[in-house]
Amino acid sequence: MKHCPKLELRGVTKTFQSKSGALTALDSIDLDVRAGEFVCLLGPSGCGKSTLLNIIAGLDQPTTGQVRMDGQVVRQPGTDRVMIFQSAALFPWLNVIDNVEFGLRMAGMPKGERQATARRFLRMVHLSDFAQAFIHELSGGMKQRVALARALALNPDVLLMDEPFGALDAQTRDILHDELQAIWADTHKTILFVTHNVREAIVLGDRVIVFSTRPGKIKQEFAVHLPRPRQIESYAVVDLSREIMAVLKDDVLASGRDAEAQLLRELEARVVGDDVL
Amino acid sequence: MAVKAAGEGIGTASQRVETRDGPRVASIGLRMLDAFPFVTRHPSLVTRHGLSLLSIASFLALWHLLAIVIASPYLPTPLAVARAAIAAFFERDFLGFTIQQHIASSLVRIVWGFGLAALLAVPLGLASGWLRSVEHLTGPVVELLRPIPPLAWIPFAIYFFGDPFDAVFIVFLAAFFPILLSTLAGVKAVDPILIDAARTLGAKRLRLFLQVVLPAALGNIVTGMRIGLGVGWMCIMAAEMVGVKGGGLGVYIWSMGEIGRFDAVFAGMAIIGVVGIALTGAMGWVEKRISKA
Repeated sequence: MKHCPKLELRGVTKTFQSKSGALTALDSIDLDVRAGEFVCLLGPSGCGKSTLLNIIAGLDQPTTGQVRMDGQVVRQPGTDRVMIFQSAALFPWLNVIDNVEFGLRMAGMPKGERQATARRFLRMVHLSDFAQAFIHELSGGMKQRVALARALALNPDVLLMDEPFGALDAQTRDILHDELQAIWADTHKTILFVTHNVREAIVLGDRVIVFSTRPGKIKQEFAVHLPRPRQIESYAVVDLSREIMAVLKDDVLASGRDAEAQLLRELEARVVGDDVL
Repeated sequence: MAVKAAGEGIGTASQRVETRDGPRVASIGLRMLDAFPFVTRHPSLVTRHGLSLLSIASFLALWHLLAIVIASPYLPTPLAVARAAIAAFFERDFLGFTIQQHIASSLVRIVWGFGLAALLAVPLGLASGWLRSVEHLTGPVVELLRPIPPLAWIPFAIYFFGDPFDAVFIVFLAAFFPILLSTLAGVKAVDPILIDAARTLGAKRLRLFLQVVLPAALGNIVTGMRIGLGVGWMCIMAAEMVGVKGGGLGVYIWSMGEIGRFDAVFAGMAIIGVVGIALTGAMGWVEKRISKA
């Protein structure tokens, strides 16, 4: 079992039925993720990368193909792989610490132990002072920290992160990049991180998996060998992002499909936007 | 120093400008407003209470004036109404009831009818919102019965149930559908991301429902109860007027109208309003307790 990858995706395909017929969101995805690896899934909106994350989480089923974790086929959600959402998805009727305790309560952990665990993880995300705060009192960045603490409290092997920093301002996002890298280095989690931001993918990932769109397919894979911790404004990150963009561009121009070219332009606009910052 | 001098210069210049015709007219207008210090966007607490008092006093004065000018036996003065209201607490009316007994009768009906409606409609709404099969099972019947106004059931209720269940039944019908539909809508409106988040954190079936769906839908459920209580209070008055037996505030104002005691009719109306406010307050109190739990 030592050499068995943490996650194995084999021919994962997802089609949705729509009024205009079947729509293929994901087309036979094959992917192996090693234990402790940080893998970023990069692609424009609508390329099916969130659907893929949902399937790995067990919240959605593939039409064909399968996902295996530690050799076991994934059929339903499990606390060995916890998902973190772009909207943070905190429970507004619970305060911060009760949110962090939620998964532990579901697991039947006794109250004292639960609270101690929750406090430990709140400290990890620097929110000890906000344990009793209510969700509506928190900023977007704080909400994502709570969501991170809530997921980590369950001690999952795998974190599935669906554009968790997509709605944050650039400064907050940079700080959270640093913290996530530190937490990852401490905890040795396996992380699958979905983003449409090229440089974010490079800063965080050991590997960047680039998706094409309609149908969602793995287009190319980039290994990132830069030393950590990485900074989003470093030359090495910017250079590699240019390289990834160039490859993507060639690819799309060769295929010559308008819709895809449009999506690429959107993708590129985001990178240029980052450069201005 | 030079800067300060320049500032002073501007000050005097503007004062001079103010004495000219145009601005003077404007400033007189503004000074007239000064005579009414309460005309501000954010009045002080004292001013606010003063304004509320003024509002009620003018209403009563206007009413009194109208009653005297019109001099109709159907429009009593506020003073006569106040006298009738006080008297109603100490004297039995020709039906043999004091106003306390009428209030009690109406309250018992609303509490039973509303309580039964909430007890049935909330679980049914939760089940139909969460389980598609339950919705398909109950939906058609609900849609069939819902358009019938609760008041249309009064003849049936009076002859079939009789006192006191006829009125309880009407309140039940009045409160049942708003609570049911709000609860159902509340469950359907739960953000699916919250359900996904709970599932990925290990929540399953019953606990997913009790610890996520229920608290997320609570706001809508309480809104439904509020509406149900209001509609129930309206319908109980109508039912009592039409002819349920055993007293009640609706019975009181209808009977007083029939013998031409319009001071008592208005007194009854005022008491109905006050009890309505008390019911809303009680509902708000329950709401706070629930949301804290």
